[in-house]
Amino acid sequence: MNLSSDLERQLQRSGLLLIIGLGIEGVCLLWARPIAFVLMVAAGGFFCAAGVAVYLYALVSRKL
Amino acid sequence: MALRTPLLISLIALSLMLIALLVARPQMTSTRGGKMLAFLVLFALPLLCMAVGVSSEMQRSKSTQFCLSCHVMEGYGRSLYIDDPAHLPAAHFQNHRVPADQACYTCHTNYAMFGGFRAKLHGLRHVYVQYLGTIPQQIHLYEPYNNRECLHCHLGARSFEEGVVHNADPDLLPAVKANKVSCLSSGCHDTVHDVSRLKDLTFWKPKE
Repeated sequence: MNLSSDLERQLQRSGLLLIIGLGIEGVCLLWARPIAFVLMVAAGGFFCAAGVAVYLYALVSRKL
Repeated sequence: MALRTPLLISLIALSLMLIALLVARPQMTSTRGGKMLAFLVLFALPLLCMAVGVSSEMQRSKSTQFCLSCHVMEGYGRSLYIDDPAHLPAAHFQNHRVPADQACYTCHTNYAMFGGFRAKLHGLRHVYVQYLGTIPQQIHLYEPYNNRECLHCHLGARSFEEGVVHNADPDLLPAVKANKVSCLSSGCHDTVHDVSRLKDLTFWKPKE
């Protein structure tokens, strides 16, 4: 398997998770309801943390 | 504060655009500049957005408008406008003895260690009850109101320390300060959120 395309795929996966997480955060910031606060921290935080984790994993798992 | 949310939304929009660019063209990361961009948009910017977002929401969760956004709190919100200085919350709110935009939080947070954190935990429970639980007919405090919350502002104030009624009995002030005599339930300042009598009361209308 091409190492560079494998890395690129992982970066794309990380990007997609971050898009979902930041999208949730953006919507919750505009929606001033108590449930939005919980959604932002729980769902937005989860997707953003997952995106960052996938990015970091892609870096450390890369074979040199 | 007013500018904070638009600025944060702009930052999120910028991050989303850059992430979308990277997702569409991942081969960009083969260059040094692309790697730096990937670090910025897949690591630094999302963490910054989340940190600022959570901080902003924490601040917003202290607002009077936020506390009163649940239907069950409607009566408590109206009680802040009762046109009678004997009603303690109304007098504090209308005369800005507490910040009007954080009126609920100022009196109902706990001025002890981790008080703000405990208030947030209670808030989470309220969200759970609002959406998934059974809302009680009558709301009660978790524990009797502690004088510490009143003394946080009033301790040392001239009107409190030298007040005629407060000093009529020399044992009263030490007992109040030690939380042995409640400010609220000892027959002194005992008219608080009188929600059951709202329909019989008149209300103050603030000038625009």
